Amino acid sequence: MSGDIIVMGGGIIGLSCALELRRRGLNVALLEKGPCGGQASGAAAGMLAPYSENVESPDEFFRLCRESLSLYPQWQQAVKDISGVPFEYAETGSLYVVRHEADLLALESRLEWQRSWGSGGEILTGSALFDAEPGLTREAVAALRTPVESHVYAPDLTEAVKRACLASGVQIHEHLGRIELAEWRERVALWAQNGERFEADRLLISTGAWVQEMSEPLGIRIPVHPIRGQICAYTWNEERERLRHLVFTSQGYLVQKANGTLVCGASEDIAGFDTSVTEKGIRRLTEWNKQVLPVLGEVQPFHRWAGLRPAVLDGRPLIGRLDDAGHIFVAAGHYRNGILLSPVTAALIADSVEGKPLPEWCGAFRPNRFGEVQAGAFSGK
Amino acid sequence: MNRDNWQVGGQELSSRLFLGTGLFPDPYVQMEAIKASGTEVLTFAIRRIHLDSVEDDSILQHVEPQKYIYLPNTSGATTADEAVRIARLARASGLSDWVKVEISANKRTLLPDPIETLRATEILVKEGFTVLPYISDDPVICKKLEEAGAAAVMPGAAPIGTGLGILNPYHLGLIVEELSVPVIVDAGLGTASDVALAMELGVSGILMNTPVAKAKDPVMMARSMRLAIEAGRLAYLSGRIPKKKYASASSGLESLVIE
Ligand SMILES: Cc1cc2nc3c(=O)[nH]c(=O)nc-3n(C[C@H](O)[C@H](O)[C@H](O)COP(=O)(O)OP(=O)(O)OC[C@H]3O[C@@H](n4cnc5c(N)ncnc54)[C@H](O)[C@@H]3O)c2cc1C
Repeated sequence: MSGDIIVMGGGIIGLSCALELRRRGLNVALLEKGPCGGQASGAAAGMLAPYSENVESPDEFFRLCRESLSLYPQWQQAVKDISGVPFEYAETGSLYVVRHEADLLALESRLEWQRSWGSGGEILTGSALFDAEPGLTREAVAALRTPVESHVYAPDLTEAVKRACLASGVQIHEHLGRIELAEWRERVALWAQNGERFEADRLLISTGAWVQEMSEPLGIRIPVHPIRGQICAYTWNEERERLRHLVFTSQGYLVQKANGTLVCGASEDIAGFDTSVTEKGIRRLTEWNKQVLPVLGEVQPFHRWAGLRPAVLDGRPLIGRLDDAGHIFVAAGHYRNGILLSPVTAALIADSVEGKPLPEWCGAFRPNRFGEVQAGAFSGK
Repeated sequence: MNRDNWQVGGQELSSRLFLGTGLFPDPYVQMEAIKASGTEVLTFAIRRIHLDSVEDDSILQHVEPQKYIYLPNTSGATTADEAVRIARLARASGLSDWVKVEISANKRTLLPDPIETLRATEILVKEGFTVLPYISDDPVICKKLEEAGAAAVMPGAAPIGTGLGILNPYHLGLIVEELSVPVIVDAGLGTASDVALAMELGVSGILMNTPVAKAKDPVMMARSMRLAIEAGRLAYLSGRIPKKKYASASSGLESLVIE
């Protein structure tokens, strides 16, 4: 098989990039070692929350998140149109709930800079807060409401993007097992475990938490490591008061899904590539969440799962082409926000594949920024 | 180097770096940076901590508590009463009886309110806390905090998170001269040279967070700060040469004469 570009990795990032590249007319083949969406992307809570996820200052990462949020309405509609697959996209807004008076100062400074970046935020206290979200603990002192934040049902979105890829002519090869990069300096060639060989002019690496495996063959430092997220869901049918917003606290979040479940996430564990769920991890969630939504004290989660977030040393994803190999592209390391960041990543990757320069502020995401392998503190220049 | 330990509130310490746990990209990077920094004292905002169950807190769950002294801070407080309330909550949860008093008067600069800080320090000292107030770099208020019983006094070099470095080295020098409790520079430093300079001025330690947590490589930067503290401290103890206007050859001019 031979084509314009091979995409390695079929999570939300690889799938979204493949779809966008195909929409721009390229012949695309996507290679996935397991099932598409079988890792982080299928585990995510699906929050699209640039403001609640960036509470300190409007840096480049915040800008990327916000840009992606603004692409979402059209992007999700395009995915639905092309795939014919429906999925939940809910523009609910969010509440960031605090329980100390001392949190107000931080909320106010956040409100100030975020409003100037289009959050439309406001601080709710007292009855205004409990009218907005009746189930909240009366110990909540205040909440920052950000009306423009929303959420999607991540496993369905991922499946829909995959179907959209197939419908538009992306060749998807799943369950390939080990995939080896045989050649990349001129043309790109990969071997799958079953002996099948794939060739193309270009390569996009979007292998999530596994992207560091490419460090050695490519000779560049790719400091990406897995951070496990454990998460659980409750049955939440008509008898229960539905949560109207995404609810955030310093300890975690709650998301009401249309399918009658309430999702509560998530831990950040240092556990290597282990995706198991632990007693301690889930107990942590069920202990704090009832302090925010007291009714949770009466129920037990019916479903628990975990996924591996791809975390980067400086907290920013790797997006773009390699400096010394203009036909190799990377899109990985989206950590807590890969679902949110999928449309903007797809647009930036498609632009750079088409040879367009990325905006200057996107230099913060250059895949080469950590230098070459072995260029430690005291070697090199 | 010979042992150069120091003490805060009767507690002997060897590292002169206090590290804040906020702002790190993720817990793995945070833990690696803590290790690389060699710190023995960790600081964090009490309001962010899950006080009912500290071992389950989203940040502290990754830390081995017996290895570190916790210095919880009252950030977010705008009055002495609020700071005192927060400090009591932290102690009641068994977190620590050390407290960093941090009371901000202004949400844009987060500069400390000296009057409220002094009041809170007086109250908390009476209640038996080991109190380390964060304060502006004013020698007069620093002295008053020492008199009020602060275990160490922590003047800012510049506003929190700005990375501007030491804006008033003269004042910092005076504070070191006039206080007998340890002086710890807290806030405003940007990079290793700022840290070395502070140590050369004779301060006992450094508290920082942003310059490490927000560096491109926080782990390497943590190590850099550890080395800068050691370098600055050694330079301070060794005694620098005076500055001169003109050159004087290090080998002695005679050696240049060819016979
Ligand atoms: C519990 C949890 C909750 C989350 N909640 C949210 C949220 O609310 N909002 C949000 O925006 N984000 C959220 N995230 C983060 C989000 O899930 C990730 O950032 C995103 O899924 C990353 O997508 P990805 O495609 O890079 O990685 P993945 O989905 O992990 O995909 C990578 C794929 O590459 C494949 N692969 C690996 N190596 C190879 C190889 N050599 N060859 C071929 N294929 C390979 C893997 O099998 C995998 O399928 C959450 C994550 C977790 C774990």
